[in-house]
Amino acid sequence: MARITLNGVGIEAQEGAPLVEVIKKNGVWISNLCYIDGLVPYAGCRSCLVSIEGARGLQLSCTARVSDGMVVDTEAPEVKSARQQVLAIINANHSDRCLTCHRRVKCMPGDICLRDDVVTHRCLTCSKNYRCELQTTNDLLDMGFENVEPWALEPRTYYQTEQPDPDRANPWFEFDPQMCILCTRCVRACDEIRHTTAITLANKGYTSRIAFGAGGPIHESNCDFCGACIDVCPTATLMEKPNKWIARTEDWTSTTCNSCSVGCTISIGTRAGRGVIVKPDLVNPVSADQICVRGRFHYEAVPDKKRLQRHLVRRGPPGSAQLPAHWGELVEYVAGRIKDVVAAHAAGAVGVLGSPFNTNEENYLAQKLARDVIGTPHVDFSQAAPNRAAMKAVEAAFGTEALPADMLRLGTSDIVIVIADDLESSHNVAALRAKDAIVGNPAAPRHGTLLLVSPLWGEMADFAEPYGGTWLQPRPGAEAALVDALAQRAAGGQAALPPVAEGDLPRALEILGEAKDPGRRVSIIYAPNPGDAQAAGNGARAAANLSIALRGDSAGESLIVLPTEANVYGARDMGVDPELGPGRTPLAEPGMSFDQMIDAAASGALKALIVVGDNPLMFAPGSARVRDALASLDLLVVIDSLLSATAQAAHVVLADVPSYGKTGTYTNGERRIDRLHAAVAALGDARPALLALTDLANAIGGADTWSYAHPDAVTDEIAASVPGYERFGAGFGAWGKARAAVTPSRFERQPVSAASAAPAAGELLLTTGRTLYTSLEGAAIHAPDADKLHREEFVELHPADAAAMRIADEDEVMLVSAHGELTLRCKISGRVQEGVAFVPVYYDGGAVNRLLAADGAPAGVRLNVAEPA
Amino acid sequence: MTVDNEATLEIQHLLRDFRPQDGDLLGALHAVQHRYGYIPRIAFRVVARQLRLSEAKVYGAATFYSEFRLTPSPATLVGWCSGPACRLKGSEGVRRMLESRLGITFGENTGDNKLGLHFAQCNGTCEYAPQVWVNGEVVGPLTAASTSDLVQKLKDEA
Repeated sequence: MARITLNGVGIEAQEGAPLVEVIKKNGVWISNLCYIDGLVPYAGCRSCLVSIEGARGLQLSCTARVSDGMVVDTEAPEVKSARQQVLAIINANHSDRCLTCHRRVKCMPGDICLRDDVVTHRCLTCSKNYRCELQTTNDLLDMGFENVEPWALEPRTYYQTEQPDPDRANPWFEFDPQMCILCTRCVRACDEIRHTTAITLANKGYTSRIAFGAGGPIHESNCDFCGACIDVCPTATLMEKPNKWIARTEDWTSTTCNSCSVGCTISIGTRAGRGVIVKPDLVNPVSADQICVRGRFHYEAVPDKKRLQRHLVRRGPPGSAQLPAHWGELVEYVAGRIKDVVAAHAAGAVGVLGSPFNTNEENYLAQKLARDVIGTPHVDFSQAAPNRAAMKAVEAAFGTEALPADMLRLGTSDIVIVIADDLESSHNVAALRAKDAIVGNPAAPRHGTLLLVSPLWGEMADFAEPYGGTWLQPRPGAEAALVDALAQRAAGGQAALPPVAEGDLPRALEILGEAKDPGRRVSIIYAPNPGDAQAAGNGARAAANLSIALRGDSAGESLIVLPTEANVYGARDMGVDPELGPGRTPLAEPGMSFDQMIDAAASGALKALIVVGDNPLMFAPGSARVRDALASLDLLVVIDSLLSATAQAAHVVLADVPSYGKTGTYTNGERRIDRLHAAVAALGDARPALLALTDLANAIGGADTWSYAHPDAVTDEIAASVPGYERFGAGFGAWGKARAAVTPSRFERQPVSAASAAPAAGELLLTTGRTLYTSLEGAAIHAPDADKLHREEFVELHPADAAAMRIADEDEVMLVSAHGELTLRCKISGRVQEGVAFVPVYYDGGAVNRLLAADGAPAGVRLNVAEPA
Repeated sequence: MTVDNEATLEIQHLLRDFRPQDGDLLGALHAVQHRYGYIPRIAFRVVARQLRLSEAKVYGAATFYSEFRLTPSPATLVGWCSGPACRLKGSEGVRRMLESRLGITFGENTGDNKLGLHFAQCNGTCEYAPQVWVNGEVVGPLTAASTSDLVQKLKDEA
């Protein structure tokens, strides 16, 4: 540590740290318009000048490094004056003169500007007014009419040249280059923080400007719309497009994104109870200051008017209307019907579905309602099968499914092994951390190696071979066999390696050899396919075998199994599983799994189903049989914030609040416990699911069965009663930092069964998976713009297959499998391999599930070119 | 990952010997410009893939150097000399006349790609100031009126 003097006050700082960061951390404001914490200084704006005793002239605090005994002054008159001069030059190329106008706060929209009649843009007509870093910098540096502006009375050259057009052609970003001060923060954030490099500084000199991709609109570049550039932009050049005029927030609430199992912490800005903007929140150290397009923009994927605002009941025959009804009346009605079913048949004629999108509290109460109040053991959720298969495999290998591997290690790993379909799309921020390990940034370079096993091209593939890694592309369904063969070779065996469409197998074996070195940090990520249970089990066994072969007794620290949905592990830990109670304690008398419940409903053995946040008609493969089974129930109760396909089939729908309106906890893909806080207000009559469950329990079991005054009471009960969650009571102080993981008790290889069969001649192998842009909530209500970019509304085909079938890009085709058919347009793409068709799993509310068998295995499909209408 | 078509395959073939090192970027861009007379938009993606760079990085480099054209070269290229001698002798008027008569500004072509205008640096032939270069040939000294006549002549010939 070094001791330095800052504005006359002695402080301690890290020797060699960038001075500007030390100044900011000590609560002293300093203008710095181009610096990004943690990156190499760009030193382009020159606005962070300070005086350092003994140094020649004024120094830039971004390039200056702390050394012991340094005496720094940020407030001296000559320092302030120099910074004002610098800012005046920056202002000269910004289109707004209000910045330096002392009258700005008095002006109202529509006023005529008395100071300068050529002002075309004004702070008042800028959507970033009062949340703009350039504006704040001007205010805090006292830039005003008394300060020197060399060209105060000259007409500005700026207005003589044509002003560049803003790019508003995409749903999320607004890019207005005339606001730009060329700080290049966006260029560096995109390149050095996100490793996307979609932004560049084009041209030179006076014509310099920021450009995306090859100079076209943003959506034609390789931009992923993560918004890292928006977070660093000091002006209104790059802004969130949705709600931009009302995003001057009244409040910020920290909560957790539910789009995948990384569990990024987000901060939702609200105005009048509505979410209007999302920023990353630093709570979860894995996501830190980064989120993806889903976390940032999907809060507004569904407009308020599309949310359930009233509770609904269908008392007539199937197909008759669902009519609004009062809460108390419906709770009594449901309780009465459930009691009738239990009396007429048995408690076992009732089933309860939780959901991996529910909070732990909701899932805990859902299983408690089933087991303690109704007395039925049938508790599950519709996406449970693949996750159960994967977790059983992990448990068999390690003696626990809560592995100690921490994603925080991912970014500093020497070797990253990714076994996934397209990690970039399914778990964007996990993919970002993997890229961190491979390329780092110029301030902290890293030289990790990536071994990618993926049947599908994703952006991760571009980080393999150029950086000494390799991308192995097996057939879909053959990943497990390949990984297991690699594991056997790594353990010294002689297993034959199955063929791959792409990739350097000898290099892969070399990487595995390096990964056995105990001195190297190794992370293995396995993200199972969300639908295929058999493949998930095999894949998890193979991934566990590989991690044991490479890392021996420390295998548990390396292997991270990332489920697709946000809170799969929470749902399992809370006991939303037919075989496991809370804390994953095995039950003596297991209940029916989701598939068995569907079969039982079809055969008439299951009479009533309470669905808490789940949407089987979207998530369960083989939708036709699910639809028929749900239709034959005597009572289907759905608690949801949207009128999903399942809710439309229900007899009773209790309106829930969206996840942004919930308080509770999530358990993410590395069993990090993340906190949710209610950010948005409930709409209409909607009530949180916890209240619905409590009222139902009291109506069924008699008054005072449960008394949870607040969600925190449930959190506390979980902490008191669920093994593994002892620390996580409502008063826990380190949410997002701590994890409910244990040390493995054993390390056992398990056999991996053979890959699934190839499709018949003339058929393609249909695969599906999570994609980046389609909103879960938008998909649940079949919103036409669930994918606002309309990039994921296709079946993707290999060019050779398309040519053989004489299908052109964007042709409408009909996919026909043994289970159903689906008509959609096709995209000829280099992402899939020959003989494979890919349909995003969320396309049109899970429409692809119609084509799959109940086990979700890749199916053979024929393609018929649709006749022109 | 987008699919290749004939045009991108041709550029790929052109670039087959370039390797993913920063030193090869300008060479690759020169190769494309040499073949097509300019750098077509689709080439950025192909160059980027070949050299393992992002499209944006290639675009940033290509736009930095004024020798790289992003529009097809016109049949007749008019260079406007921006040197101090020409400026002192009123080349600003020549520029305004060129721009207004051609309806384009620097770096652009007329809609039919027959005439293009570009911003040129002094070549030392200041005795002809203010001057323009028609396909490299010095024309000057000009006045606004003679510039108008020149544009008419070029349009007629084109």
